[in-house]
Amino acid sequence: MIRSSICIFSMIILIPVLAMSTVKLPQPEKILLENGLGVYFFKNSELPLVSFRLLIKGAGSAFEPRGMDGLSNFTADMLLKGTRTMDAEAIAEALDFMGARLSISTTEEYAMASGECLSEHLPTLFQIAADCLISPAFKEDEYKRELARKIDTLKAVKDNPGRALRLYFQKAYFGDHPFSHISLGTDSSLKKMALDDLKKFYKARFRPDAAIMAVVGDVDKEKLIEILKSTFGQWPKPSTPVPVSTIPPVPVPRGKKLIFVDKPDATQSYFALGAPGYPVGDKISASASLMNTLWGGRFTSWLNTELRIKRGLTYGAGSNFQSWKIGGVFTASSYTKNDQIGEMLDITFDLLKKAKIKGFSSEEIDSARNYILGQFPPTLETNGSKANAYLRLIFYGLGFDYYDNYLGEISRAKPEEIKRAAAKLLPESNFLLVLVGKRDEAKKHLEKYGQFQEKKITDPDF
Amino acid sequence: MPKKAGLFFLSILFLTILLQATFKKEDIKIHQLQNGLKIIFYEDHKIPSISYYTFFKVGSRNERPGFTGVSHFIEHMMFNGTRKFGPGEFDRIMEFYGGSNNAYTGEDFTAYTDWFPSKALEKMVELEADRIQGLIFEPQVFESERGVVASERRMGVENNNEAILNENVRATAIMAHPYHWDVIGWMSDILSWRRDEVMQYYRTYYAPNNAVLVVVGDFDTQKTLELIKKHYENIAAQTPPPPVSTAEPPQMGKKQVVIRKEAQTPSFMVVYHAPSCNDPDFFALSILEKPLLRGQSSRLYRRLVREEQLAISVYGGIDEKIDPFLFSLEVKPRPGVDLDKIEKIIDEELARVMEQGISEQEYLKALNIIKSDFYFSLQTNSGKANLLGAAEILFGGYDQLFSIIDRYSAVKREDIPAVAKKYFHENNKTVGRLIPEGGVQ
Repeated sequence: MIRSSICIFSMIILIPVLAMSTVKLPQPEKILLENGLGVYFFKNSELPLVSFRLLIKGAGSAFEPRGMDGLSNFTADMLLKGTRTMDAEAIAEALDFMGARLSISTTEEYAMASGECLSEHLPTLFQIAADCLISPAFKEDEYKRELARKIDTLKAVKDNPGRALRLYFQKAYFGDHPFSHISLGTDSSLKKMALDDLKKFYKARFRPDAAIMAVVGDVDKEKLIEILKSTFGQWPKPSTPVPVSTIPPVPVPRGKKLIFVDKPDATQSYFALGAPGYPVGDKISASASLMNTLWGGRFTSWLNTELRIKRGLTYGAGSNFQSWKIGGVFTASSYTKNDQIGEMLDITFDLLKKAKIKGFSSEEIDSARNYILGQFPPTLETNGSKANAYLRLIFYGLGFDYYDNYLGEISRAKPEEIKRAAAKLLPESNFLLVLVGKRDEAKKHLEKYGQFQEKKITDPDF
Repeated sequence: MPKKAGLFFLSILFLTILLQATFKKEDIKIHQLQNGLKIIFYEDHKIPSISYYTFFKVGSRNERPGFTGVSHFIEHMMFNGTRKFGPGEFDRIMEFYGGSNNAYTGEDFTAYTDWFPSKALEKMVELEADRIQGLIFEPQVFESERGVVASERRMGVENNNEAILNENVRATAIMAHPYHWDVIGWMSDILSWRRDEVMQYYRTYYAPNNAVLVVVGDFDTQKTLELIKKHYENIAAQTPPPPVSTAEPPQMGKKQVVIRKEAQTPSFMVVYHAPSCNDPDFFALSILEKPLLRGQSSRLYRRLVREEQLAISVYGGIDEKIDPFLFSLEVKPRPGVDLDKIEKIIDEELARVMEQGISEQEYLKALNIIKSDFYFSLQTNSGKANLLGAAEILFGGYDQLFSIIDRYSAVKREDIPAVAKKYFHENNKTVGRLIPEGGVQ
């Protein structure tokens, strides 16, 4: 019944698909500051708000020394904990007083400062943000406080099986590769770390000649330049060369790797299944997105349909591709009662096989196309999302017309390309499977998968 | 305290002026159909997308013991088949047309939030109209969805210590009013809802005269109204639902609840009975919540997280609810700390507010936060739709949105101690602790 009605709709929709209007990312203006910091600016006066993003290449977790998980993120946290002119409380008070938002965090590849405020407060927000980036105090007492909080947060994470699963997965998938570094840190890395390590990391990697900035919102260009000059423009460019920021290739699982993490009070078992993906900007991107949308990327995907909609095994099931400059990962995950986890995995593997062998119908592919095209405009709706997009495109060297081309490829991708993407990217015999759940209830349902390496949630690290 | 206060003081003067400059009441169009459905339109052509939000005035507040969680269950069933479109077709068709959606159920209302390309409008109007009064609750689908909700409860409550504590504290503090139970409902109720009772509940509450439709984005109001008339006008109004008459009796002494379970970290919270969002005291407490709990400059963050180092984080405040609900102070304690000490510090800080109130700086900070939060929400079609719908349902009219900042500004800083005294007293208090057993400390 369902399938037949879909066929009828596909005929009706054919013309709207091709004519579907979308948004273009507006071209920003570039302002180059004397210290080498490039600022991309787009004016939007619709609301009295301004957002900024500042990306620092090479300051992400992949550049931490081995065993120093969390160093980059800890460094970023400390930037907001006091400068030469303001202590941590003064910074918090000034930001809260304006109702402004400012955060500094790190991903694997870079550090990112993000902020937004009412336009009238922009000079103050920039002054604080620049001060934090240029002259952090790295005070011992703030470091100790933050360290204690991180150690405790690690414990709290292990009380939440879904969150814990992601970290166990990351460690197991990447092994010795620097993408295994957990941004929160681990019990052993936090023990080893010292304030000096943070200072060193900051000194080497937080620098204007490795940074790019984007500003979007209600401010005039002349006014913006004036504010920038007295704030981020004062960030001195070091005389030392920018450190090398290459990352080794992402590891590829060979054979099956199975891990079970026992959490005796869990009433559900959570799984994550991983295999290699593709790097940002790869030519497979469009067909892989279409394929993933259909297999596990949206509510009516195969995976969610079989696990949730048809069988009621779970509240949610999904898959996604995460991509970096040098590679990517495919992940599928869900959760169910401990004694149903075997059934859930069987269905998941059957669906992987089915997609690789049969691919998807042209009706399904039209639906995925419409979905990706239709869901795109809101992703560039806010000042912050535009600023993000600018920096992402520059960082990955994609050009400001990237989205137009990508959406064009989405419109044109052929069924056989999508089938090829499934055959190439969906796992079959080489994968990592990690579970967190109650071992005693789940174990007998998992025997056919082979020998699991067993861990206890209460053991230190991941 | 910051040394730059002078610089910021001006900002508050612009509050009302700025509001009128951007998102204008005059640009909002209203229509009510014969069957009682109220429609709020706001055209915004920035992106070729529409946010189409339907709000039904039903939530856990309208439930009864033995039948808890059913409002949320119907939210799930709304995607599971009508006479016209089979189970799951709503999502399939919507995604086919490039749309996406979510839905949420609260204590007071249930919202269906669709966002889709402008071209999909007619199909979406048809789909949304169809599932008002059109659901069939096919028995097999009913059972499968029961399993999904049970899984949602296991994930959201049973495997989440904060949620377990929250549910227990709420049920301890609130004795009689239906806010007693969580929106998800008790597991034994989830496992025993009867189809005929669920259908009866649906017929009563999913009626055009019990709903508000908000449309924001890239469309033409007149044409859209015609479409809506075509698809919605034939849906019959229903007998208005019975009013919720149970009032929570005054609490007569401090209550406590202790949970012992396997965990690595404890959890802690304190709640006080608080007024409905239409009570003038609500606005005073909402202002007070900012200097008390919001951000790293807040009093409780400073004391509990920074100075005494007893906690990882603090959060909470007052919720916007139709009936009197709770003001909550939630703390994520560090493992092994003395929870009594945390309670004592919260008591001290509340006593300080009751005696001395808040500073001018804190008062202005609260108003600045309220104002910037408001603007951040207005950045998207969905944010606007959500605010308009919530204002209509909770504050008695969408137009209240344009005077809500004035209601906050009308609170005088000097009023705060008296309001605080009215609510933060020992007899009005419930304390909850989750104490880890097993695990590694």
